[in-house]
Amino acid sequence: MNTKSMVTILAVTYGFLGILPLFLGGSSIYMRILTMILIWSVVASCWDLIMGYAGIFSFGQVAFYVIGAYSSAIFSVSLNVTPIVSIFMAGTITAIIGVIIGLPCLKLAGPYIALVTFAFQLALEPFLKGPLGKAIGSGGSRGIISVPPIHLFGMDFSSSELVPYFYLTLVLTLICSAVIVVILKSHWGTAFLALKDSEDFAASLGVSAFKYKLLVFAITSFITGLFGALYVHYVGILSTRMLSMEVFTVLLIMIVVGGIGQYPGVVLGAVVTVTMNELLRPMGIYRLLIMGGMVVVIVLLLPDGVTGLIRKFSFSRWTNKESRSIETHESNL
Amino acid sequence: MMLSIENLNAYYGQAHVLKDVSINVNKGEVVVMLGPNGHGKSTLLKSLCGMVDYRRGKIVYKDQDIIKFSSEKIVNLGITYIAENRELFPYMSVMENLKLGAYSRNARKYEKQNLEKVFSLFPRLAERKKQYASTMSGGEAKMLAIARGLMSNADFLAIDEPALGLQPNLRVEVTKIIKEINKQGKTILVVEQNIPQITDLADKLYVLEEGRITFSGSKDDALSNEDLKEIFLGM
Amino acid sequence: MFIEILDVIISGLLNGSVYALMAIGLALVYGVTKAFNFAYGSFYTMGGYFAWVLLVSLGIKGGYYTVFLAAIPFLFVVGFFLEKALISPLRKRSDWQMKAMMLTLGLSLFLDIGYISVFGPRLKSLPDIVEGTLTIGPFVFMNQDMVIFILSITGLLCFAWLLNNTRVGMAVQAVAQNPVGAQIVGIPKDRVFAATFAISTIMVGIGGILLSQKNFVNPQASTGIMIKAWVITAFGGMGSIKGSLYAALIIGMLEAFVGYYLGMIHIEIAVLTLLLITLAFRPQGLMGRE
Repeated sequence: MNTKSMVTILAVTYGFLGILPLFLGGSSIYMRILTMILIWSVVASCWDLIMGYAGIFSFGQVAFYVIGAYSSAIFSVSLNVTPIVSIFMAGTITAIIGVIIGLPCLKLAGPYIALVTFAFQLALEPFLKGPLGKAIGSGGSRGIISVPPIHLFGMDFSSSELVPYFYLTLVLTLICSAVIVVILKSHWGTAFLALKDSEDFAASLGVSAFKYKLLVFAITSFITGLFGALYVHYVGILSTRMLSMEVFTVLLIMIVVGGIGQYPGVVLGAVVTVTMNELLRPMGIYRLLIMGGMVVVIVLLLPDGVTGLIRKFSFSRWTNKESRSIETHESNL
Repeated sequence: MMLSIENLNAYYGQAHVLKDVSINVNKGEVVVMLGPNGHGKSTLLKSLCGMVDYRRGKIVYKDQDIIKFSSEKIVNLGITYIAENRELFPYMSVMENLKLGAYSRNARKYEKQNLEKVFSLFPRLAERKKQYASTMSGGEAKMLAIARGLMSNADFLAIDEPALGLQPNLRVEVTKIIKEINKQGKTILVVEQNIPQITDLADKLYVLEEGRITFSGSKDDALSNEDLKEIFLGM
Repeated sequence: MFIEILDVIISGLLNGSVYALMAIGLALVYGVTKAFNFAYGSFYTMGGYFAWVLLVSLGIKGGYYTVFLAAIPFLFVVGFFLEKALISPLRKRSDWQMKAMMLTLGLSLFLDIGYISVFGPRLKSLPDIVEGTLTIGPFVFMNQDMVIFILSITGLLCFAWLLNNTRVGMAVQAVAQNPVGAQIVGIPKDRVFAATFAISTIMVGIGGILLSQKNFVNPQASTGIMIKAWVITAFGGMGSIKGSLYAALIIGMLEAFVGYYLGMIHIEIAVLTLLLITLAFRPQGLMGRE
């Protein structure tokens, strides 16, 4: 997708979300949903960048989100760091952990990465609940209950101040989205496309797969951790329940609905998924049943998500993908 | 006529590889298809054997159109593809590779018979029954690939660049073997770039360039065609 | 002290043998189809519920004999048709591996929640396959443990025999080693894919029947089992059957010792650490090729 349509779609989507509070009159249910759409859209975008563009089968996105949340909560609760600083510290910690996981991981073949990152998420829960977690202030299985809100310009940004918090999140969302667009459109983005086509070919151009992958892993971990932190100061409480398969699957649906490697499709995916998740809430346990079934059906029937669907019905030439695929195929004959 | 391909088109993704290719092969013939690398020769053989997903046209083999058949059905009908890069089972012995060659239903009954035939044709394989395919030299592996193809009890062999990457003395040997197989009654379609010895076996020649047949005729026709002489036959 | 260690070793061997059964099924399906099955653990739970329905809910005659006789065709059919319906259509795309991972993740949630909505959230307990104990000198063995061990080893031996001595087994190996070569010799690749998936479903489902006697049938156990099976396969070398066998026994032992001496909560962390260290030095796993 060219830069213009990418930015247009992002601007329209976020612009629309941004003016909605004016019409919804700050109703708390809607504000919560809108805020969660923003947070998840960024986390899911990061995942798309890793998986859809950099081609890293990382399943550790939820883990990084939770690490960000816990770091910021621990900094602000145990060390009395003011939250606006601690969220950035949390992002940094997450980025460092991302690099530590990435170093052994990114040299592995695709499925191994998925496995190690997923196992990492599963090991995180016993770690946080156990004595090691308690030692660093995770609060064990009780979690952390009084995480202070972000205090800035003499204002509290918390769950009782939904509208200001929403706009704070929106500002950070726009900044992070801009970072993602810049990454995708810089020579990094080109390098990723080259890597996707053929790692050998990219290597011959002097593109070091490992270096780029590690960098993008660090950056997306930072953003993901930052948003995890942002979230924890908003809700004020934190437990390992955030590591459940449910959260993971909801995030997965966003990317499946939006289409993998179809940025900014994933943003639309987040809008659809979060809204639907809320609408299905009265259905109790069947909500998860439907969510799981949806992943299966969408992957089978809409392999490129809604973005693929839109592309099928629109005649505009969004990409030059077709011409690219001919070249690669001809060289394989 | 044993095989007749009519207006065959094949695609890889968006790439249109074969464009209205038509060829005929009679029973007992050796037909050689020449053409530069990357112009669709392998695709032609793979389409014939049901290994290309997107193809259109007619492939009539022994009076039935097989274009929609799966590869296992085609093997069972008696057409075998012998790949240029051999496609052996690396962590299996020579014997296991050969036995798998006789996997299709029609070949099973003749497994013993064909094993004897193959071992008399390739005495070296008989000596190395237990060796892993991955540890064999290029020439031996090529022989094994041909031998495995023969195990399928096929009447029709589609051989992809049998002499590619072989030393001159092995080329001569492969040529001899193809000749011998043909004498035993197999019909053969060979694809080559420019190996004079193999071209020499041809009852009929085709030239495939950029997905189209640009020449068809006998060896003599080809020799009297100045362009071909220079480009392909190297004479 | 000595008897204590022996107990831990026995429990490690017991878990390890069942893990081997499950991990080898996974190694097989990955080696042949290259599909990353994230719903694998849900078939473990499915095995458990299958046994529970037959034994407790319906109270069928013949006990575990009937359960095993019925479970094998049942799990085969489930695996075969799921592969045909869900995985096989993805295979035409270049990024199908990633799609398959996502699809099977969705499937696992669907199945696990499905179990809860059908059977309720409470754990179900299965009757012991045999009662009683065997005393040799100072050592006391539970008959149940020994039967589970023997059954999983028998399952493994049957599997190895089928793989090396039957036409289907050779076809499966052929597809794993060279799918194009398999197509050339006329092996119906798609059917082999589905059959392999089905065989792996049987292996993990049987694993579920065996281990659920000791650990209850738990709809929330699926993810843990799936990851365990994957970790073992990766540790042993993706697609390597022998590697998975050793890895399963090592991980079974590690779990038993860590669980006993450091506490159950450290098991996952210890297993992950072992995996990370191994992969850092040997990215292809213990016995992986290339």
